[in-house]
Amino acid sequence: MKAFKRIFPFSAIVGQERLKKALILNAINPAIGGVLIRGEKGTAKSTAVRSFAAVLPEVHVVAGCPFSCDPDNPAEWCRYCRSLKSPPTVISRPVSIVTLPLNATEDRVVGSIDFERTIKTGERHFHPGVLAKAHRGILYIDEVNLLDDYIVELILDVAASGINRVEREGISFSHPAKFILVGTMNPEEGDIRPQLLDRFGLCVEVQGESDLERRVELMSFREEFDLDPDGFIQRFEKIDRSVAMSIVAARELLPRVKTNDRTKKFISDLCLENNVAGHRADIVMEQAARAVAALKGRLYVTVQDVQEIATMVLTHRRREALPPPPPPPQLSEETDTRKDQPPKDKPPDQQKPPEHQPEHNGRAHGQSMNQTEADEERSDEEREGKENLKDRVNYKHVLERVFEIGQTFKVRKISGPKDRILRRGSGRRSRTRTAQKQGRYVRSSLKGDGSDVALDATLRAAAPHQLRRRSNSFDGLAVYLTPQDLRHKIREKRIGNFLLFVVDASGSMGAQGRMSAAKGAIMSLLLDAYQKRDRVAMITFRQNEAQLQLPPTSSVELAAKLLKELPVGGRTPLSAGLIKAYEVVKRELLKDPSTKPIVIVITDGKANVSVGQSKKPLEEAMIIAGRFTLDDRITSIVVDTEKAGIMQFGLARRLAEYMDGLYFRIDDLKASDLVHIIKEEVTQ
Amino acid sequence: MSCARFYPFVAIVGQEKMKRALIFNIINPTLSGVLIRGEKGTGKSTAVRALAHILPKIEVVKDCPFNLPNGDSTGLCVECPKADCREAVMSGREPEKIWREIRVVELPVGATEDRVVGTLDLEHALKKGEKCIEPGLLAAAHRGILYVDEVNLLDDHVVDVLLDSAAMGVNTIEREGVSFSHPARFTLVGTMNPEEGELRPQLLDRFGLCVTVEGLKDPESRVAVMERRTAFDEDPESFCKSWEEESQALVERIEQARKLYSHVAISRNLLFDIASWCLEMGVDGHRADIIMLKTAKTIAAFDGRTEVKASDIEEAAELVLPHRIRKQPFMDIVEDVRSIRV
Repeated sequence: MKAFKRIFPFSAIVGQERLKKALILNAINPAIGGVLIRGEKGTAKSTAVRSFAAVLPEVHVVAGCPFSCDPDNPAEWCRYCRSLKSPPTVISRPVSIVTLPLNATEDRVVGSIDFERTIKTGERHFHPGVLAKAHRGILYIDEVNLLDDYIVELILDVAASGINRVEREGISFSHPAKFILVGTMNPEEGDIRPQLLDRFGLCVEVQGESDLERRVELMSFREEFDLDPDGFIQRFEKIDRSVAMSIVAARELLPRVKTNDRTKKFISDLCLENNVAGHRADIVMEQAARAVAALKGRLYVTVQDVQEIATMVLTHRRREALPPPPPPPQLSEETDTRKDQPPKDKPPDQQKPPEHQPEHNGRAHGQSMNQTEADEERSDEEREGKENLKDRVNYKHVLERVFEIGQTFKVRKISGPKDRILRRGSGRRSRTRTAQKQGRYVRSSLKGDGSDVALDATLRAAAPHQLRRRSNSFDGLAVYLTPQDLRHKIREKRIGNFLLFVVDASGSMGAQGRMSAAKGAIMSLLLDAYQKRDRVAMITFRQNEAQLQLPPTSSVELAAKLLKELPVGGRTPLSAGLIKAYEVVKRELLKDPSTKPIVIVITDGKANVSVGQSKKPLEEAMIIAGRFTLDDRITSIVVDTEKAGIMQFGLARRLAEYMDGLYFRIDDLKASDLVHIIKEEVTQ
Repeated sequence: MSCARFYPFVAIVGQEKMKRALIFNIINPTLSGVLIRGEKGTGKSTAVRALAHILPKIEVVKDCPFNLPNGDSTGLCVECPKADCREAVMSGREPEKIWREIRVVELPVGATEDRVVGTLDLEHALKKGEKCIEPGLLAAAHRGILYVDEVNLLDDHVVDVLLDSAAMGVNTIEREGVSFSHPARFTLVGTMNPEEGELRPQLLDRFGLCVTVEGLKDPESRVAVMERRTAFDEDPESFCKSWEEESQALVERIEQARKLYSHVAISRNLLFDIASWCLEMGVDGHRADIIMLKTAKTIAAFDGRTEVKASDIEEAAELVLPHRIRKQPFMDIVEDVRSIRV
């Protein structure tokens, strides 16, 4: 055993029973289709998978076959096995767990021309990639959510068909590639796409142990292992082996395990109730339940078996029932009442007496709001008063209030269209080609200026010609390159966008818990920005002016801190906010013409302060909004904080129309169900 | 040893916590590193570079690009670019070995991915027509220290790769026609200035310990800093010599502690203490528990004891927990651990 491959034994892992069970079930019945392990850091996710190889029974393979063909299944043999004259020699070896590292390039994943052999023989030979190695084994992707999209697509494609077809560098080749996909991820770092999610049969959420006794046991085990790895592994060898034996026994039993109609009905009911997409859940659930039964040495599946694995099958597939339920109103009230406490504790000097507005809500009768709007406002207020008297009382006395950040949620995908402009920078929102010698080297191309040569591809291109060229040349090099062999790297990486938040912090935002909902939405967008490594900036507008609270920065933390302390109160100078936003965006565009700024305006649209003298505030705001349409690099989004209901102004929607931008309510921003997202991606 | 290029470790004024954290990591490499946070000019980088004076020795195969302790005729050595050593190993002979100090390998902020993980050896491929790997920084850092200055400014891409191999101590390369894996178990030492943005929690968790350094507050020590620095700049050679004795004493103490470590015992009660610390603080996962146990034992070993005391656990908590209490991306790093617990 190689020294560096000494791994903490599988059966010595304390707790994490569900994770272990999910792995074992997959080993018993590969039809389950893999497992995704989600969980916080330091919960033995990776350790469990890596140590799992030791408890897996061996597989029979054709000796010498590069694709680990099954000797008992000649129909799926590769070219090599078919070319064998005599019946193949069979050897058995441990199941391979193939790790796909994050830095993998395309040629190694699917396989490519074998440049060494090609040079020597002059014939094109195929050099199998990771997918070939994983055939009949486990393909393990650590931190699967950080893997490059391009590679993910390749793997998905192969996982779905079970065959890897290679058409590149003059090779046309295909080989079977059936593997169990095992991935680990930490959701904090961003989620994975629903298509990929669905591809994993089971999903296990892992957590740290909360039991003191077990934590202590875990600590001591780890320390013992680090002090004397070999001795520790030996201690657990026996238990590991018994796990392996039970897997073998269960495998033999599996083909005879039957599911009766009643249990099948139970399964389909369960899937229906949870509103899963497609039929994969039903199929996976039955297969997993059969594996459970087999492990218990039973020949029929019981309802208990199904219940045991139901959550593993459903956690990542469950969707909200359609149509989505309206947002629970009591929530915002709750937050509101809770938020009401802090201002009372504030020293009086912070509670400046209102100067311009005797009333709450940023409502200004004398301002240019027209009559109907004012009426609306009043009825708004009345409703509110009924709902929450205490809230109202507070408005009278407090001009500035700080709302806590409301509930955060997962944000739907927001990104600009992909194009071919070369950019610099780093991040993960929009995909782009990069000009620097940085980023993922995805594939090679004939075009390029020779500064970023894809050596491997160049050599592969030159390889078939070596025998011929060698005879014409006499210097000592082994490889003769000619200019037409040159290949250049195409690199791709996601660049972070520039997100500019324009936040309405006027008094009207304080009503009905709008601000805490809005803060929740901004926070969610910030979390999203963090995962996508965006640059952010924040402008707030209230009273008579707009302020650049946070100049463009990549420290999303700073923005979050500011957001927490952001007070609300005063009138709504929407046009001032928009002007400021336009200035900031313009400046950013001057600095780096290739950025794609996304302007996110969070407001209810009730403008009541104008910058100039001549126009009404609302009219003025709409004209300024029109400026954003002049530059098509700018994407704008208006997030309406107005609650859905009978009384609506729809001002924010109008603003969105003038800005030629997307319009969302806060609830629309939430990443919706699987189907919806897929649709969105298809239309892109 | 010509260490005169670097300021001597023992001559650093104050910053005891940082110095101790670094020493603990040298005694016990399984602590998996230390993150030093602090403002500019507080001796962060100086301290890490100064480690060169006090590093222990390890036995390695001479000039081995992977820093292996022994030849490995079944795995790594087969594809090793070093021909003479490879042939020796393949024919069953023992390769030449030497004792040398462990290395501090610096990962520059602008490093590209292929330099970090390793790539196809261009020269070899062209000359011999054979595929050969050119090991990257991760291979060079095996069994040593990987030092990242301004770790929060590191390209995202490189951080991902770093996380990947730091997790299991193995670097797997599947790129540019090369398929290869080699051990990469290193002590990760990073410095950062929090003003320029924080680290991702995932990476944060990989650092075993975390210390925050501040400028010295009392005038006397500040003067001492100035005096020593000038003395060093004027005549590094003799400055180092004047500290030689102390350096040597520390090296010996570290050596002793390394030997003592495996004999350090800890009572079951104290183990429960550690677990309840971690539970109360609500840290993610179990890495904190494990590192805390190791740190406490290392502290005991450094003090020449074979029994862990309660005070060791408290010191360990201060080093292990601050950066782990920060659970979500936007929460602040806690400076004073004890205050929370009470």
